[in-house]
Amino acid sequence: MSGPLTGVRVIEYTGPLGQLAGKLLADMGADVVAIEPPDGSPARAVGPFVDDVPGPDRSLNYWYHNTNKRSVVLDLRAAEGVAAWKSLVAKADIVIEDCAPGELDTVGLGHASLRPVIDSLIWCSITPFGQTGPWASYQATDMVGLALGGPMMMNGYDAEGVPGAPPIRGHGDQGYNTACHYAVQGILAALLYRDKTGQGQHVDASMHEACSSTTEVGLPYWFTQRKNVIRQTGRHAAAQRTEPWLHMAADGRHALIFGVGRDNASWKRIKEWFQADGFGKQLDEPRFDEPAARQPGRGSPEAAEVMSELSRFIAAHSADEVYRGGQERRQSWGVVRAPSEALGDPHWEDRGFWTEVSGEGRDAPVRMPGAPYAFSATPWELRRPAPKLGEHTAELLAEWLT
Amino acid sequence: MGVPAFRMAGCAATGIYRHPAAAQTACTDTERLLPIIPAMPDLPLSGIRVCDLTWIIAGPTATRVLADFGADVIRVEHQQAIDPIRVGRPINGERTTLNNSGFFNYFNRNKRSMLLNVRHPLGMELLHRLIAISDVVIENFSSGVLDSWELSYEAQKTINPGVIYCSISGFGHSGRDKHFTTWGPTAQALSGLTLMSGLPGEPPAGWGYSYMDHTAGYYGAIAILMALHHRNRTGEGQHIDISQVEAGMVLTGPAILDYTVNGRSFRRPGMPPGNHSWEPAIAPHNTYPCAGEDRWIAIAVRNDAEWLAMVRAMGEPAWANDGRFSTNASRLAHQDELDAGIAVWTSTRDEYRLMHLLQAAGVPAGVCQSPGDRVEKDEQFRARNWWAAMPHAEMGEASEFDGVTPRLSHTPGTNRTASPLLGAHTHEVTTDLLGLSNEEFAEYEAMGVFM
Repeated sequence: MSGPLTGVRVIEYTGPLGQLAGKLLADMGADVVAIEPPDGSPARAVGPFVDDVPGPDRSLNYWYHNTNKRSVVLDLRAAEGVAAWKSLVAKADIVIEDCAPGELDTVGLGHASLRPVIDSLIWCSITPFGQTGPWASYQATDMVGLALGGPMMMNGYDAEGVPGAPPIRGHGDQGYNTACHYAVQGILAALLYRDKTGQGQHVDASMHEACSSTTEVGLPYWFTQRKNVIRQTGRHAAAQRTEPWLHMAADGRHALIFGVGRDNASWKRIKEWFQADGFGKQLDEPRFDEPAARQPGRGSPEAAEVMSELSRFIAAHSADEVYRGGQERRQSWGVVRAPSEALGDPHWEDRGFWTEVSGEGRDAPVRMPGAPYAFSATPWELRRPAPKLGEHTAELLAEWLT
Repeated sequence: MGVPAFRMAGCAATGIYRHPAAAQTACTDTERLLPIIPAMPDLPLSGIRVCDLTWIIAGPTATRVLADFGADVIRVEHQQAIDPIRVGRPINGERTTLNNSGFFNYFNRNKRSMLLNVRHPLGMELLHRLIAISDVVIENFSSGVLDSWELSYEAQKTINPGVIYCSISGFGHSGRDKHFTTWGPTAQALSGLTLMSGLPGEPPAGWGYSYMDHTAGYYGAIAILMALHHRNRTGEGQHIDISQVEAGMVLTGPAILDYTVNGRSFRRPGMPPGNHSWEPAIAPHNTYPCAGEDRWIAIAVRNDAEWLAMVRAMGEPAWANDGRFSTNASRLAHQDELDAGIAVWTSTRDEYRLMHLLQAAGVPAGVCQSPGDRVEKDEQFRARNWWAAMPHAEMGEASEFDGVTPRLSHTPGTNRTASPLLGAHTHEVTTDLLGLSNEEFAEYEAMGVFM
């Protein structure tokens, strides 16, 4: 074990909302013990499943978010389970749970009951709205978090593009992910404080606050000008309508384009590329020479002509050709991929990005994403796949409690 | 009273840079007698210094987190390569001044700013001095820029053996495409996040802002905090190489496993499913129009009990008790009729009243809130004192901010200062920390070192 958190003991009691927080710690070396009720964490019931057959050890969602953890089944409604919970918490550096505020404390097992007794303990509660306030007991899913927190109201379509389209939720449980990204920041800040002082504390992590702090220019516009930005198709919400970024390519995929010809050097590179392929002969005319004339925001006929020539060029090439050709000419262009389409990109092989796991129904290893960061001295490491339900109950209780 | 507490371990620990040539000589009296000034509020990262070479959003997001929790973040800025966000809209007033961007103000609170011309040899030498006394060096230039400054991790280690160097770039510092570059939307497109957002049969809606600038920054902050913990135990620093696209790809894990295990790509008919659920498969799960222009409520019913509670909250309309809607499986099979019935109910009603009504019945529901809604109408934010104001010379006496999350019970992060004016701290950083006398400062300034 070589991660930066080697030696840190974590007790986790989470479902879909909080499970990423424990993974981020476990993947970097912490000894993370997922406590589960006898019928398993609710996260085990979330698909997709191996061969679409549900089962506690067949959830791919669970496989992904629980790497490097150990699973211990405790029945917190039984005296034995309660005693074991208290004993394990007493041995832990960090507790992470995503129960409703106060839920664990009604049976004397929450932070208000246990944390003050153990001065050095860091206890993180991840909830939809935080521990206090009028909405503390409100229910939320990922979508509800993204709605109230603000991301959805900024994602969607041009009004004339898809009339009446609602705000759109990006998939992948990004509200839960964002809640966990902030929760882990708080846990680690508390850990560094404990490194200095020995003092632990409670960390109150709210998905609502986390999502609201992840909307870029949205709040600055309100703070500065009391203006709401408007949703636009496939590009940033903005105070005024801006030019499209997504263009359909010959292979039916979208290329992502922006910043065409903002400066003369890049304009020359792009123009020569187009012209070598028989497009944009007219772009040599002097009326296109000024960068300002080429900017769509100015509404000039030249800008419109550049955009239409660009669309024609993209429609005649594959999205990958446009992406790579643009990047080779120092444009930050892209291609809109499905997540799995990145599997074929050799750049990620070069970096050793993918990792492999196996599990129930798949003995041969399959690929999934690895590390979000490459540490030179204490690298990310897959030590074990997600645990089967209760796989480590006996082992862990013997190891921690004897 | 006894002797006041003094910093131990010699002059370097006073935070005052000593030129290597002077390191052999004794500390001056002034340095030796410098007392520890108790850090004002006790913050978890008090005493951590960050040499912040970042710009735009991803890097400044990482250092915003560190600054909020008490690190001394020193932005190193250069007028010839100004952070574009300093002129980013929205601005306060008619013209940009480099100091009146609300965009910049939001991402750069609690930080200091120094001007440094790193193309001047003396400027580069001052940067070396700052690296020597920093715990963390962070940048989000294109891959290769710091190498061209002769400040690779290996080079930084010769200046500061324990340094933690975090780089955030589009494709990382290795691999065949490492010279490619990204904005947030590029990383969102390449990682699959853009495609995962939209209505079936329509172009991708994507993300209406640079979600991956935020999130690459979060991973930067998380990585730095982990590396600091490791350094606390071992004294060892390291290089952290973050690719913004990889940080996006780790947010799509279940979708990738659905392909590698089940052979199913997210690019297929009917996908992305708009605001219908993907996994878990539940219904109703959608956004519904409310009274008023562009008002929407998100409603997610997770099980039959919640559906029955919702039917009661709707006043038991006849259509809702139809057998087609009695189980989750049949609700999923008749989702369009289900959505149409609910929309009739919501479309004449106020979105906040609907939310409170459904929440009182135990049904997950939330208004799709605009930024203005969050600031003006959100009772939860108000009750938790989420909004703050701090004075800024060009943004007003009460330039506005959100709070620091998550909330630490003993040492919460704080809002201390609005964003720094360009170069506001050049003199104090160079004279207090980097060892310049006032005379030297004036000489350097005249030579164009601070521009």
